[in-house]
Amino acid sequence: MSATARYMFAVARDLDVAQLSGARGFQGAALETVEHEGLAAVVCDVDLAEFGEEPLIRNLEDLDWVEHVARTHNDVVWRVAAVSTCAPLRLVTVCADDESVRDKVDSLRSGLEGVLDRIEGRQEWSVKVLVAPRSGGEPSPDTPATSGADYLRRKREASDRRRDLSVDAMRIAREVHDLAHAHAVASRRLAPQDPRLTGRPEAMVLNGAYLVEADARDAFEAAVHAAGEQHPAVTVEVEGPWPAYSFAVLE
Amino acid sequence: MSDIDLHATATGLQPTGAGQVSLVDLLDRLLGTGVVLSGEVLISLAGVDLVEIRLNALLTSVRADMARHEGAAP
Repeated sequence: MSATARYMFAVARDLDVAQLSGARGFQGAALETVEHEGLAAVVCDVDLAEFGEEPLIRNLEDLDWVEHVARTHNDVVWRVAAVSTCAPLRLVTVCADDESVRDKVDSLRSGLEGVLDRIEGRQEWSVKVLVAPRSGGEPSPDTPATSGADYLRRKREASDRRRDLSVDAMRIAREVHDLAHAHAVASRRLAPQDPRLTGRPEAMVLNGAYLVEADARDAFEAAVHAAGEQHPAVTVEVEGPWPAYSFAVLE
Repeated sequence: MSDIDLHATATGLQPTGAGQVSLVDLLDRLLGTGVVLSGEVLISLAGVDLVEIRLNALLTSVRADMARHEGAAP
């Protein structure tokens, strides 16, 4: 039999363990909880041949492995968040045994209580603002430049248009963010995602995360959709609700 | 557009499916947050640096944990 360790998904408050019955973590391992002073760490056994230090160095370079782990982690966090207030842990938090899990909860405790207080009854929403590339337009190729000076002038004008567009897009991103923030209890602007990762040609100018009261979701969504309609030059996308990942940061 | 409801998961609906969270969105959140420690490695997707993860810190904590565990074993 190979050695195992405990993989921690999340720490939950008010978790009724019976509601996780039948749920699985990695490799079909049952989800279990490690109770510690009013909090419950949600864990499952993992094989050290996969999650030990040496294998992790290799596996974290393997995007398929990372995706599998991220999706499994996310599925478990969703399941736990549906029935409790829970602080998701960072990907790949591995402890030797239950005693180590309790030590981990202890070491995070002051931060955890604050996180759980902050996210209770709230959910995370994503709002993105995307702008189509070069919609300011290049000079029409149908009307060739009549001189070198004309060519340079046109080039400068096109550059000005792009800069104006980008300034406009930034301003709209700020407006949409402020509006979404006004309907949220907290917000964060994450780094915009690279078009090569999203697979879309548009440039992302806002990648915002918003912590919204569960009963304010309709107002939040309506406000963001309305902002999108006010600004046809950009695409405004709302996604959610998600577990409050971006607001469970422990530092 | 995603229309996942957290309550749906409690009634047995899978969160994955039509409204599946994109991997980029997921990694933004699963790797971009958490306990901040020193040391970093870049995971790249399609040659683009995706997110920083604190791999050294992660490994250090796993190593310390395992060492303590082995020390305590009979």
